[in-house]
Amino acid sequence: MHDETNKPGAGGSLSVFVVEDEFLIAMDVEMMLEQNGHAVIATAPSVENALRLLEEARPDVALLDMNLRGELVFPVAERLRSLNIPFVLASAYGTVDFEGGEAVADAENIGKPINERRLLDALRRAVGQG
Amino acid sequence: MDLDELYRLLRGSHVRAQGVVDTIRDPLLVLGPDLTVISANPAFYRTFKTDREATIDMPFDKLGEGQWNIDELRLLLEQVIPRSASVFDYEVTAEFPHVGLRTMLVSAQRLAHPDNGQRVLLVTIADATERRRVEVEKDILIGELDHRIKNLLSVTHALARQTDVAGRSADEYRDTFLGRFEALGRSMEATANGRTAELPALARAVVEPYMEGDRDISVADEAKVDLASNKATPLGMILHELATNATKFGALSVPAGRVKIHWKLSTDEDDVSWVHLNWVETDGPETVSPEATGFGTRLIRFTAERELGGRAELSYRREGLIATVSFPR
Repeated sequence: MHDETNKPGAGGSLSVFVVEDEFLIAMDVEMMLEQNGHAVIATAPSVENALRLLEEARPDVALLDMNLRGELVFPVAERLRSLNIPFVLASAYGTVDFEGGEAVADAENIGKPINERRLLDALRRAVGQG
Repeated sequence: MDLDELYRLLRGSHVRAQGVVDTIRDPLLVLGPDLTVISANPAFYRTFKTDREATIDMPFDKLGEGQWNIDELRLLLEQVIPRSASVFDYEVTAEFPHVGLRTMLVSAQRLAHPDNGQRVLLVTIADATERRRVEVEKDILIGELDHRIKNLLSVTHALARQTDVAGRSADEYRDTFLGRFEALGRSMEATANGRTAELPALARAVVEPYMEGDRDISVADEAKVDLASNKATPLGMILHELATNATKFGALSVPAGRVKIHWKLSTDEDDVSWVHLNWVETDGPETVSPEATGFGTRLIRFTAERELGGRAELSYRREGLIATVSFPR
């Protein structure tokens, strides 16, 4: 039998790490997640900031924007992989549009603008509760 | 001039044709059936910084340092004489000796000597380096613009979704949403075209829509502060939320109420310059702390902390709100 209690945020609240350079979108994501009983444990507007926060932060799942003011999010994706933290992309672009896209190739991209239902479903799927 | 015309001239007066060929700006080569160079025009020598010695009677693919030694190009050229085929704008990007990295477009056409029927190849080479560079720059610019448009759509979507609907009429919702949308536009405008945003101009631009009638909003003239472009939009949005809040609940909701915006600078222990901006409401209705945290308060705090890397303090005094936003410049 499946032991759901071992899964992060089983049946309830997920702690989410948000990497997004547009503050209004970051805030929107935070509000959407809170309104649905989840918590944003940190938000980062840049790769550097995200990597620094990940020295300590251990979220259940992450949501990544792909293009952070001209910088690609891939180093963050690689770090998350090494920490076994699943992630979801929220990007108006396809991953194949960028060199080095392998780091995020099999992650789900919910696109932009972000649809609330799609965001919640994708985060659940990423942590294996889909 | 096109090749037909050149051909006609070549058949006519040799001397006149020579003059025409000499003044053509693009490099021209005449190749024999074995693809060795029979002649070259001055533009060829000029463009490739070479001379007759290194050019005439040389095989085309040995010219320079073999930049034209491309199997595909040779195959194409070999077909030109027997099949009367032509080559049009074959692109070669290579490092040319003394010239550097260039993108050249090679075109070739068969010519037959009118007297003896000897067939030769006329090869023109156009330097497309600059054109290609401009095209690449244009593509980058279009990509950047595309990114900004997509981003703006997402931001607008976020504003529309998070603008409260509870207890509001459609009119009120629309006005609140459009107020935020306009503030976003005004804040972005302050840094458009690479301009540096500055105080007090940014503050004036954002509160200007609220200055209708005899509403009393004063923005200090001093000191002028240059703002990094990534700080202008967040600060503009914060000021807009303060203004819209003041017109609904604060000092700007009554005729006597006043708002003063002023700021000072400080330097912290790491030698970083900080801006401390004060929004001071007076002579308004008695102020009470809001019961729930609305979008506006949330935007102010979220933005001050995470986007500006500073903090916001909201002090609801009886005589009016004082908001202080402090952030590193």
